[in-house]
Amino acid sequence: MTHFIALILFSALVAVVFAALSSEHHDSASRLKYGAKVFGSFVLIGLVIAWVLYPLPL
Amino acid sequence: MESSLQSERPSEKPLSDLGANAPSRAISVSPLRTAAACLAALVLPGLGHLVLGRWARGVIIGLGIVIMFVLGLWMKGHLFKPEPGEWITWLFSFANLGIGLPYFVLFAADLGFQLAPNQAAVPTFEYGNTFLLVAGLLNMLAALDAYDIAVGRKA
Repeated sequence: MTHFIALILFSALVAVVFAALSSEHHDSASRLKYGAKVFGSFVLIGLVIAWVLYPLPL
Repeated sequence: MESSLQSERPSEKPLSDLGANAPSRAISVSPLRTAAACLAALVLPGLGHLVLGRWARGVIIGLGIVIMFVLGLWMKGHLFKPEPGEWITWLFSFANLGIGLPYFVLFAADLGFQLAPNQAAVPTFEYGNTFLLVAGLLNMLAALDAYDIAVGRKA
């Protein structure tokens, strides 16, 4: 299990639950689109934070 | 006589009063069934939606949360219980408790709570903890969602 796979799994599972719980989206297509947006945001922001933190001597 | 658990009546509020995003299929159910749905949602992920007849949503939410919980344990994460003098464990325990029955079953079986030697050195240890905490918090959101559906605020 790499850090990246953990990030993908976490993002995918949270995106699925968020899309199912959303009160702003009432049909499957818009829920799917919202879930994809949540998933992409999690992955992208995770990678950006990792890139920013990488040079820091933590 | 029809059981109060089975009865469904139209929302007491007109849909026009529910705001611009008012769901078109909003219903409200009896207070007993509302309480049963909330309790069921807190006992097992997705069960509250199943009690309300929202099969697809219940299965998707339940599977998502249960998979996240199982992955958390598989990644060598551990569950928290409140420790006197360590306030952070109370916060984490609250989040872990959100998963419901599995927390108590594992507590009774003393599984998932003990830290093995070098467990914290496993690279996925903190990921596992995060998966377990977030699974509990997501289930709390799911319980609130079940309540919203039951009182007719949401389709």
